[in-house]
Amino acid sequence: MNGIFRRTRSSGPIVMILVAGFLGISILHLLLTIATSQSVYELADLKREKRELDVTSQILSEEVSSYGSQQNLLTVASKLGMVANSNPVFLKLDDQSVVGQPKPASDSAGQYQNLVANSAMINPSRTQLRTELASSIEPGQIPTESPKPISAIPASPTR
Amino acid sequence: MNRVGPVNIARRVRLLLTISGILVVVFAIRLIDFQIVRAEALNELSFEKRSVSRTLPAVRGDILDANGTVLATTVYRYDINAAPAKVRPVERRVNGEKQTVTVEAAAADLARILELDVAEVSSKLIGTSNYVNLKKRVDAETHRQIVDLGLPWIFSDSYQNRLYPNGAVAGNLVGFVGSDGQALAGIERQFNACLAGVDGIESFEKGVDGIKIPSSAQVIQEAKPGRDIVLTIDADLQYQAQQVLASEVERLDADWAAAVVIEVKTGRIVLAAEAPTVDPNEPGKSKPEERGARVFQFAYEPGSTMKSITAATAIDSGYATMSTGVTAPSIIQVFDRSIKDSFDHAPTNWTLAGVLRYSSNVGTIKIAEKIPAKTRFEYMQRFGFGKPTEVAFEAETRGVLNDYRNWDGVTNFTTMFGQALAVSPVQMTVAYQTLANEGVRLNPILVAGCVDENGEITGQPKSTPTQVVSAKAANDVMLMLEKVVEQGGIGKATSVAGYRSAGKTGTAQIQDGAGYGKYFAASFFGMAPVDNPQYAMGVVIYKPKQVWQNAMAASAGYQKILAQVLLANRVPPSETKSPEIAMVW
Repeated sequence: MNGIFRRTRSSGPIVMILVAGFLGISILHLLLTIATSQSVYELADLKREKRELDVTSQILSEEVSSYGSQQNLLTVASKLGMVANSNPVFLKLDDQSVVGQPKPASDSAGQYQNLVANSAMINPSRTQLRTELASSIEPGQIPTESPKPISAIPASPTR
Repeated sequence: MNRVGPVNIARRVRLLLTISGILVVVFAIRLIDFQIVRAEALNELSFEKRSVSRTLPAVRGDILDANGTVLATTVYRYDINAAPAKVRPVERRVNGEKQTVTVEAAAADLARILELDVAEVSSKLIGTSNYVNLKKRVDAETHRQIVDLGLPWIFSDSYQNRLYPNGAVAGNLVGFVGSDGQALAGIERQFNACLAGVDGIESFEKGVDGIKIPSSAQVIQEAKPGRDIVLTIDADLQYQAQQVLASEVERLDADWAAAVVIEVKTGRIVLAAEAPTVDPNEPGKSKPEERGARVFQFAYEPGSTMKSITAATAIDSGYATMSTGVTAPSIIQVFDRSIKDSFDHAPTNWTLAGVLRYSSNVGTIKIAEKIPAKTRFEYMQRFGFGKPTEVAFEAETRGVLNDYRNWDGVTNFTTMFGQALAVSPVQMTVAYQTLANEGVRLNPILVAGCVDENGEITGQPKSTPTQVVSAKAANDVMLMLEKVVEQGGIGKATSVAGYRSAGKTGTAQIQDGAGYGKYFAASFFGMAPVDNPQYAMGVVIYKPKQVWQNAMAASAGYQKILAQVLLANRVPPSETKSPEIAMVW
């Protein structure tokens, strides 16, 4: 009888160790899973942020292209009083003579108004510059403030 | 009392261990069966049910001008769709507080952002369908505003779209693509092999609800983006030329106008403009005849601008010099036809220079009648007439230059002053480039090349110089043409202060049925500066309805464009003066 009780007493700790080990491994596994899941969420957030930044980049590129288009530059330049003159006048430095007769630029060629179509020009007043990272916006929170122009550059005349 | 004794406990432990052992063995067998024996088949079956592959579209290359200005690029556009079956009010958090957005309010927001009628949007949101399109092809900013609304029953499809940031600037050359992304015209189609990339393939797994499982995407084949094409044109000058031409078309009530400028010493086309022309962003808004490149694809009878070629032929083949004299009445009879000059005059003793200066048809015939037709035909071929230029623009015209053996008696004479043959604006500009480049013809170049992965331009066309006429013959003709600008009533209107320039007027009748109609193709072709030729240039005004202005039609536009080309490229003003050349003998 004593021998049997001794065997019973000695198997108890083994079972406890096995159970504790199992629990330990399970908890470790759980923690690792949580950590991995967290990384997956972070990765997903970063991917979402990259997508947002790509879109922002495209929006801004289109806007810059619109501002930089010849049609917009002509409009802006003419508003500033810059006009093309096809009557150049040169001052020769060697003998200080003047070549050509200065004449004011005329709009006979309609050069002050754009005559070349461009349906790609956008209305930048709609565009809002978003510099904040997408991840900094709380999920479900919708920005409510109205869009602001990105600068004081005159808007493209057409869309 | 039935007590649990040590024997029972031991038995139970053994029983428990035995059952556990059996379970472990069973699970182990199943595990081995699933993971090893049938693993491949099960994986395949599972993957087939969940796996979806899709094409990763390659981004099309850009089209750039000589200075890197983007003329065509690729952006993303979005179709905004809704699932009416799932439309319901949504909760939205504003400043930390929950707010309920009604369907009506959401429809109003959608309508405002998409620039649609509220009633139209509201009606589309009613129904049991899971798909209805609200608006196609919206830009990224609009799409972002839609996403920001946070409506779960709104979804979008994105796709690549071609954007031409400068609109119709060089639209005639760049061409356009269709709504399906297929290249339909111009450089877009001609150089599709360079611009188009190679699509990739992506595989991903979907859940039971058909939604893509995050992080399951696996790129089977990477998309290879297309390469950029670099043109030789200057987009700024092209735009200014188009502005001038559009203005002239309106002023003169012409069908269209075109201008070409070529660098004399390289053959590079600086601009090839026309008006009206296509805005590649919306080609459907242009008339069919405005969607091509007339500068390459349209042939017209050039008229008197061809006299320069006849004069160069006469000098180079030894039949005339600048001072060769003829006595030209204002009209002569050639077989059954009378050929006359554009103005009445008494018989005049003109030199060859005088013939060009006064653009005398009769004088030209008297100078060139001794030249065999075969010789003139061969010279015209060497100048590049009768075949497409080396640019090989799509559907480029070869013009009309019939074999000299098929010329009848009258045609033999009329070809001397630009009738009974047809040329494209580019062909004629190349001919004047030849005269400006000491008789050496260079292949015109429109495409500088395709940009490879290292940013290097590859496939650059090689120019093969051809000595068409001697340097002396070419220079003599240029000096005579300078007198057209210096002294001519029309030519003078093309002069740019500070620069010596040369050129020739052309006022060619346009065929109408069997004969000539009442309309003209007015043109001016020339080169500048004469003392160091940099640019050859031509302007064609087709069918100006202001008939009295025909002779002057092309000069104003020519002068404005030439001035911009010279100034923009900082060409130094001329330091020399033109030599005296006798007009009469």
